[in-house]
Amino acid sequence: MPAMEPAAASKELEAWIEEFEAAARRPLPLRVRYAFIKTYRPVLDDQPFRAFDRMSDYRAWCEAALPSWLGYGRV
Amino acid sequence: MAAFEYRQAEEIRDTFARLGVRYLFIGKSGAILLGFPDTTQDADLFVERSPGNGAALVAAVRELGFDLTDAQAAEIMRGKDFIQLKNGPFDLDLVFAPDGIERFSDAWARRVDVEGFPVCHPDDIIASKAATNRVKDRESLPRLRAFRDYWASRRRG
Repeated sequence: MPAMEPAAASKELEAWIEEFEAAARRPLPLRVRYAFIKTYRPVLDDQPFRAFDRMSDYRAWCEAALPSWLGYGRV
Repeated sequence: MAAFEYRQAEEIRDTFARLGVRYLFIGKSGAILLGFPDTTQDADLFVERSPGNGAALVAAVRELGFDLTDAQAAEIMRGKDFIQLKNGPFDLDLVFAPDGIERFSDAWARRVDVEGFPVCHPDDIIASKAATNRVKDRESLPRLRAFRDYWASRRRG
């Protein structure tokens, strides 16, 4: 991520704090309702069960099998 | 399948407590329970790897409505590092060895109780996401770190 100008970074942080404050005012059930969504993710959602011996196997599978736009690839 | 609901989080909490499963909410789902305003699809649980805990975990997820074959149950009991369940009422990721966290006992000692939900400390959630080094995590980390600082300042009062 490119470095931000200090003023822009400060404004972004202020906006985040406002979001955190607003979330803190909501009861937990409402926070959960707002936070969990369901959209179809190709490949990832196509099998009912997957198990990986090592986390490294899972990471390698994500990079090889999932569309890059899902964001599961490593930087 | 619909989105994960609060009632289902309660079912995890209550069923796992009754059956004695040692686990922590981790990842973005853990951060959300702590108050982080963001969106996610899956509930992520960091589960202690031990024979007794594995057996209790299998009983618990079956009770929650996950349709496990005996072979799948055996893989969970063995404590494979990462297991994705999409054969139940919601999507559930079971993580036995998250990146960036050395031992379950360390994370357990640092856990945060949120209305009865055992949740990884924000530092552990961040450590795990930073170690994973995925594109989607790298993008969310600055905001998550800001949340950790905000959360810690509120805790201090």
